[in-house]
Amino acid sequence: MISQIGSLALSISGGLILSTFFFLFYYSIKKNKIFLEIAERGLIAICFCIILATLCLLNELLISNFNLQYVAQYTSYETPLFFKFTALWAGQAGSLLFWTFIMSIYSLIYINVTLKSMEYLKYSSYGILSFIFAFFLLLSNFIANPFEPVSSDIIVQNGNGLNPLLQNVTMAIHPPMLYLGFIGTTILFVMALSAIISKSITFEWIQSIRRWSLITWTFLSAGIILGGYWAYNELGWGGYWAWDPVENSSLMPWLILTAFIHSSMIQEKRGMLKSWNILLASSTFLLVILGTFITRSGIISSVHSFTAENLGPLFLSFLSILILFTGYWVFKRSDLLKSDNKIDSFTSREGGFLYNNLILLLMCFIVLWGTLFPILSEAWNGEKIYVGATYFNQLNVPIGLALLFLMGIGPLLSWKKTSRSTLLLNFKIPMLVSFISGIIYAIFFGLSDLYPLVTCMGIFFTATSIIGEFRKSYNKSKNRNKSILQTIINMFLSNRHKNGGYIVHIGITLLFVGFIGRAFEVEKEFNLSPGEEIYFANYIFKLNSITSEARDNHYAFISDMDVIDERNSLLTSLYPEKRIYFYWNPDPEKRQPHSELDIYSTMKKDIYSIFSAYDAEKNQGYFKIMINPLVNWVWIGGIVMVIGSLFAFWPSKRRDYGII
Amino acid sequence: MNKIYTSLILVFGLIVIWTVYLTNVRGEKNITVRYYTIEELSTKEVSLSKVKVGGLIKPDSIKINDEDQLEVSFYVYQGSDSLKVYYYGIRPDLFKDDAEVVVAGAFDDNLIIATELQTKCASRYEGDLKNIEKI
Repeated sequence: MISQIGSLALSISGGLILSTFFFLFYYSIKKNKIFLEIAERGLIAICFCIILATLCLLNELLISNFNLQYVAQYTSYETPLFFKFTALWAGQAGSLLFWTFIMSIYSLIYINVTLKSMEYLKYSSYGILSFIFAFFLLLSNFIANPFEPVSSDIIVQNGNGLNPLLQNVTMAIHPPMLYLGFIGTTILFVMALSAIISKSITFEWIQSIRRWSLITWTFLSAGIILGGYWAYNELGWGGYWAWDPVENSSLMPWLILTAFIHSSMIQEKRGMLKSWNILLASSTFLLVILGTFITRSGIISSVHSFTAENLGPLFLSFLSILILFTGYWVFKRSDLLKSDNKIDSFTSREGGFLYNNLILLLMCFIVLWGTLFPILSEAWNGEKIYVGATYFNQLNVPIGLALLFLMGIGPLLSWKKTSRSTLLLNFKIPMLVSFISGIIYAIFFGLSDLYPLVTCMGIFFTATSIIGEFRKSYNKSKNRNKSILQTIINMFLSNRHKNGGYIVHIGITLLFVGFIGRAFEVEKEFNLSPGEEIYFANYIFKLNSITSEARDNHYAFISDMDVIDERNSLLTSLYPEKRIYFYWNPDPEKRQPHSELDIYSTMKKDIYSIFSAYDAEKNQGYFKIMINPLVNWVWIGGIVMVIGSLFAFWPSKRRDYGII
Repeated sequence: MNKIYTSLILVFGLIVIWTVYLTNVRGEKNITVRYYTIEELSTKEVSLSKVKVGGLIKPDSIKINDEDQLEVSFYVYQGSDSLKVYYYGIRPDLFKDDAEVVVAGAFDDNLIIATELQTKCASRYEGDLKNIEKI
């Protein structure tokens, strides 16, 4: 019953899309406001239908209605309640519905809040939004319908259940965060194009689109970092980023969105780079759709794969239409997008933002080129050629380092032009601190590896420069009647955009601290029987015992390993496990082994242990140990980034209320 | 054109050209690896220092060395063609019969000596329904 309601809601929203198009068309001829209003209500009704359909699917998942193919495939009676809930986005059909669900929520906010103060964007916004909805509803209704029943000649006694790797809280939060980020770009696309189509690039518009881009950026960043965190803690290859096509697909929109957030500041302050900003804002969405195409078409071999239905051609057609549409309007409105001002000097704040754009764009190009290279090379001469992590690192590391320094240089530049004396004055201290840090680094670690040294100098340069900026604003807001704490709070609250931005930059410098660690990773694979020990990386690893235990939904072999440091004292004990899920299944094919890691984590380094195989006959365990320095800094950097951007986004009392 | 824009576009262009050069001209060494189908390789009588191959693990072909469980050999297949793979190291959890794998390594005398072994990430847990009763 409930599933019929959901299915019906999806069909109705499909019908409503057609009527919305009809009324929009009618409005364009008659120019009677009433038709626009009908179209608006149609869109709102679509959003509510989709929300209803999503709730229906959720209900079926929670009550385990295995008459639905989707429910039977991704849950079982044994699946814990929380993961029945997250199964909503575990498979193709569900995740597409979930995508449309988030789009509906964003659209409702956009229609009811943003467009209330910008009536002039309504007509074109509704048109573009309806087109995007039409595409996703087409998928959900006809290609991947989550309410599809199982074939009528079978009865499902129990569902397949959710993959144990996904039964993890991080993995439950990571996809929704990423989706909130991905889908937020839809609104940026709609806003950018509707502004040029209706010829109304206003100050109000730029402020509003900046706020949308900030919230989208926050979710996207959180999603990417959580993905890395999950991979590091669950997958057991000891890293958090592998330049896999799917990871790259999320990084590309992030890079362009970051570029947009910076260059739109020039437009806000000086009325420049209008067409550039339109291109950046719309490209974020185009890159998201490109990424979805890469992920869901299987055209590029990736460790993540969606093998079920091939949605590749559909996403490619959708992407092509969007690109042509964007190109057409940007070209047609090129005179509207002329700049009000000119950039005069290389050493100006505007210049700094341009360098930032250059770097982020280059990184995006390198990632895009590397990701699409197998397709491009195959089209070129029939040879499918992949590029590996070496390619991405070789090109992106030096460019990334330039970005790190630029984060410190940018704030020291003044708008329009920085005089030579100011330049010298501002750069003196950060340069000095950076050099000293470099010398100290060289004394301790030598000069053999250049990148970590330069990264270290960059971190100190940028951190000093940002702290200097905080100091300046602290001095400005200093007041005899206030305590230091009050002054600091006032200082932070007085300009949230700016201070939030600096906090994000601090977060990124912390990320770079974590990246240095990658240069010093070491690993070893070995086998041990209980009582034996091995010496590696200044530690002794001593295996005490391997025990086994049957648990609720798996069988576990648990190792107990002591880590003894160079002073011969016990540092920690590690308990990595080898688990067998579905161990009661008589068919060994259906059993699912899983290595549960154990990580001893400090700010300085992580000791990462994997119990990869167990030889029962010889009572011998096979282990892999990795020493990964500074990884925790990456997570801390990520958290600081998100806090900073939320801080920048949070409305200040003066004027921001109401502008979303 | 403004001086600053010109120089930015110039820098962008140069790095783009460098990227393309790196992958296409200088690419042979350790930056790129060519993907072969199993059919292509199984008919080749050459030795290649670096190849990447994807396929399914042939059922019952996995042979783990009793003395050292890290040592394994198995066959990957695609349709009717198959190739022997040798690998030493920790295997992914999803490594089993009929699992989809991507291996990379050297190819010599119809054998792939793999240095990389990846199974497809199980982020999507698809497959036929298991516990069913026909009516």
